[in-house]
Amino acid sequence: METISTSKTIIPAAGYSAYEIDAAEAVRLELRAVSGCDVFFRILRCPKLEIESVTEEGVKASVLFYNSSGETLNTEEVHNVKKDASLTIAYGECNGADTFRTVRVNLQESGANALLSSASLVNEKKEYRIDVANLAPHTNGEIRNFAVVLEKGRLMIDAIGRIVKGAYRSESHQTSRALSFAEGQRSEILPELLIDENDVQASHAMSIGRVDEDQLYYMMSRGLSVQQCTSLISTGYLMPITKVIENEELRNMLAEEMERKIAELCSM
Amino acid sequence: MKTLEIKNLHVNVEDKEILKGVDLTVRENEIHALMGPNGNGKSTLLAAIMGNPKFEVTEGEIWYDGKNLLEMPVNERSIAGIFLAMQYPQEIPGVTNSDFLRAAMNVRRESPVPLFTFIKAIEKTISDLQMKEDLAHRFLNEGFSGGEKKRNEIVQMELLKPSLAMLDEIDSGLDVDAIKIVGDAINRLHEETGMSVIIVSHYERFLEMIRPQFTHVLVDGRIVCSGGPELANRIDTEGYDWIYKEYNITPAAEADELNRRPASIGVCAVRESVKGLE
Repeated sequence: METISTSKTIIPAAGYSAYEIDAAEAVRLELRAVSGCDVFFRILRCPKLEIESVTEEGVKASVLFYNSSGETLNTEEVHNVKKDASLTIAYGECNGADTFRTVRVNLQESGANALLSSASLVNEKKEYRIDVANLAPHTNGEIRNFAVVLEKGRLMIDAIGRIVKGAYRSESHQTSRALSFAEGQRSEILPELLIDENDVQASHAMSIGRVDEDQLYYMMSRGLSVQQCTSLISTGYLMPITKVIENEELRNMLAEEMERKIAELCSM
Repeated sequence: MKTLEIKNLHVNVEDKEILKGVDLTVRENEIHALMGPNGNGKSTLLAAIMGNPKFEVTEGEIWYDGKNLLEMPVNERSIAGIFLAMQYPQEIPGVTNSDFLRAAMNVRRESPVPLFTFIKAIEKTISDLQMKEDLAHRFLNEGFSGGEKKRNEIVQMELLKPSLAMLDEIDSGLDVDAIKIVGDAINRLHEETGMSVIIVSHYERFLEMIRPQFTHVLVDGRIVCSGGPELANRIDTEGYDWIYKEYNITPAAEADELNRRPASIGVCAVRESVKGLE
């Protein structure tokens, strides 16, 4: 695995590649996907991360950002998707530190697709602003956020789907769900659809709720502690994010790591 | 000798008193049937023993194996050997049966159950209960039919091997064949381990299979009479009316009905009593 500690331009090789970001200062990455690729970024330390990516015409790219940082992470990301290209980004946030993330996706040319998903186990502050813009006809944008909010967690998600005038036959969809275990937690999800074109399809779904008491009682009646129930339910809730990863090795690694991390955070 | 001892138990549900002083002793290896009309406290008694937080014990004691159950959280009661096969098992999306069962088995062992042992055990139980083979990988009760949920309760019972099993209308929703499968599983575990059983059922056929030695009739939150199998037989043929007369009592649903609707015909008493509970 290559370690990144200063700003650089990356053109991922076809297939699977992995990078570690370990930087004491701000880092700016330029990412150009020119052939089908699965890219894994593990963030170990990076106070500020700027990313600008381009997924070139016809290319299918998937990128996973897995945050393992023990310190606050600030990101500012712009992802541009060209004609008939398809970009999948997954954010895994099961670390115990604050994250402030601003993401803009530009579906620049017709046939561009983007799927952004996040799975967060929130025991600190996590604030995301995810803005997907359909700038051309026949483009397709989707946002999926799943979060489990633990006792000390604070979650804010601003999810924006934007279809400009002239981007006909485009689609913008989003789903954001937050699950909490204790009373008095604050989660905010703001779903927004800003649509300036008639011939489009768009949807948003949102839910914030506590774990059902009857479910908890049922599981406890078989001997599981509250922490074990929290861990099992959270795992079930967040694990689907691993399905967006096509590469099997990467998918299994991520699943194992998330399971471990969830068990660890839930037993705190 | 693990004994369940209940003394003068009073239980409220949403500030309404459902149990009004129940005394009951269940020793190791004994099978007890709880009978009585619907809405008179049978399920409430089982839920209070298990520790359902919606049921508030206002007075009385519950002891099991020398432990004060009322001071123990639900999961510790389970580890102490108590199992409740629920009338309405919950669906837990995202959590597979096998992850759930392994976790539940591990909490009652010193070291985690080896994977191979676990797979063997779950395969045997699935075939005992004639469940579909993919059960282990499915999410807990999600999308299960009523009958599958009930059988899955017995799968859990077989794997967790409780010393006291409480079965709350486990037979409802099961067809004749499935009742036989479930009855056999309960009898097998009872014979092998000396597990005590408290069973709530309205079906004579099921009670005939399990053959409880003791019968208790719960009316309006009290055990009004207890006896042997002959009591269950008499209720099966004659119903409860003779008990109401002999002990000069009124069942809870009807008492409620009398208070609220003095002269109505064609109202479903059960539905009305359920309304009061919801």
